[in-house]
Amino acid sequence: MSEDLQRKIQSELDSFKTTQKDLQKAISSRQQLDGQLNENIIVKDELEILPKDAKVYKSVGPVLIKTELFEAKQNVSKRMDYISKEIKRVDDVITNLEKKQDVHREALQKLQHQFQQAQVKAALHA
Amino acid sequence: MAQISATEQPNMKQVDLTTLNIQQLSTLKQQLDQELNLFQESLASLKMAQTKFQNSGESLEKISPESEGKDILVPLTGSMYVPGKLHETDNVIIDIGTRYYAEKDIGAAKDYFKRKIQFVTEQMEKIQFLGLEKSKIRDAIVEIVEMKLQQQQQS
Repeated sequence: MSEDLQRKIQSELDSFKTTQKDLQKAISSRQQLDGQLNENIIVKDELEILPKDAKVYKSVGPVLIKTELFEAKQNVSKRMDYISKEIKRVDDVITNLEKKQDVHREALQKLQHQFQQAQVKAALHA
Repeated sequence: MAQISATEQPNMKQVDLTTLNIQQLSTLKQQLDQELNLFQESLASLKMAQTKFQNSGESLEKISPESEGKDILVPLTGSMYVPGKLHETDNVIIDIGTRYYAEKDIGAAKDYFKRKIQFVTEQMEKIQFLGLEKSKIRDAIVEIVEMKLQQQQQS
């Protein structure tokens, strides 16, 4: 009986830890996306205040390639849209993982409680 | 993500610290410690960014229309230089982020760095303010934990 319970606790603990790891991964990618979005916003603001005939270059590896200003603006907006979508996606993942973690935590607490009770019973019988 | 603040804010629950048990308080303290660490790191990187902008702005002071045609040494690698001549000294190309570069004249470039330095300084002030607030909460938590421990010893 108690071995069975221990096995259950172990497996529950394992899945709890996996969820925790997944959650941490999701959070760090969310932070990275946030940083990228901020950087893009700053670049967009900078492009907005440039005069219309300003020369803009894009670095591709070691070379700078001349781009049209409107093209650069378009590109940055597109990237911002994409990043915002990604942020929404990761946010959903995070909420789901948090819920999953709570479920595991509760189950774990229940099992631990059962385990303690079993131990008390065993002690009484001995 | 969970937020901790000393001032009341919407969507936040007010919690009387003295009603929490020691375990909860230590979790809270851990969280605050983590946040404070993050603030320190952010401050350090902002300081670095600020220095970089300042240096770039200062180098611009050295470039004027009169420097046209002057000799310079161009670094090809960190340890190898080739001689060159300055050309088109009224324009510079500035990295504005996400791999985009914009050509600006000296005045606009100086203005750019001034704005950037101001922006970074503002961010630093914000973080410093938040950090101060959080460390106050942290101190309060430590105090309450000590109080609770004393109470436990007495009883």
